[in-house]
Amino acid sequence: MATRAQGHAGKTRRQDGADAASLDGHLNAAFDQLYRDHVDRIFRFAQRLCGQAEDAKDLVQDTFLNAYRGLDRFRGDAQLSTWLYTIASRACLRMRRKRKGEPERELSLDEFIPTSEGEFRLQIPAGGLTPQEALENKQLRRALDQAIQRLPKKYRLVLVLRDMEGLSAKEVGSVMGLNERAVKSRLHRARLFVRKELSAKGLDGGHS
Amino acid sequence: MSTPQRRAARPRPAHKHRGHSKADCLKILRGLSAYLDDDLAGNVCREIRKHLGACPNCEVFLASLRQTITLCRHVEPPPLSPAAKIRLRGQILKAAGR
Repeated sequence: MATRAQGHAGKTRRQDGADAASLDGHLNAAFDQLYRDHVDRIFRFAQRLCGQAEDAKDLVQDTFLNAYRGLDRFRGDAQLSTWLYTIASRACLRMRRKRKGEPERELSLDEFIPTSEGEFRLQIPAGGLTPQEALENKQLRRALDQAIQRLPKKYRLVLVLRDMEGLSAKEVGSVMGLNERAVKSRLHRARLFVRKELSAKGLDGGHS
Repeated sequence: MSTPQRRAARPRPAHKHRGHSKADCLKILRGLSAYLDDDLAGNVCREIRKHLGACPNCEVFLASLRQTITLCRHVEPPPLSPAAKIRLRGQILKAAGR
């Protein structure tokens, strides 16, 4: 016959089990909602960062798996999207480090300072076109994608978050753990790098 | 016998362009992103606009930087297909042990 204490313990265990099941249910529902609402955004972000669809899918998987594991600890201090960008950015840094093992290159402002009149006057071969029309030029689009991929990742992350995802400098700082001044400094270098890469390509400007 | 004296290297004349030096251009270039993002104080913006009005090189540079940013803003990668979305969700939940 069960003692009172055993009965209480059994009841507590059952209660704990029910609470855990209820928590699991809440967690699963919250995750489903999170995935539905944000998977498109995070996949777009991942593609901009990785360049390749398959790498982007790996990054999305990593991001949402980490989000699932941390969802019960999310305190709501940041927007969910900012929280996901943070997880994705960290996952991206880890992925790249694992794959390449190469040290991060620093971009110096001096390397973008023109030394001749010709360099000053390099132009992006998209004159007179809307951005959408210009990007239909496969050569230009490829050159832009390559330029972004050639950026060292800490600069690429800032450029993608700020100029492609449209976050403010403050939000980028919060995602990357940087102050606004550092964000703006990296952003300027990243933009100058992409400008130089694009203008140096000497594309024909025609639609291919 | 005295050895021929080497001429002391003469400092190069500063690059001059319509009343300003190359150093002025470099100073402007360092602040162009902040200028385009409207992050500078009014008097600094006025100074940059004044320089741009007198320096075609910096004006072309600014236009190409602006165009670079505009292109970046308009790159749209292809979306994830509904089937891939479902497949990925399954993989995530499996990895989470659910």
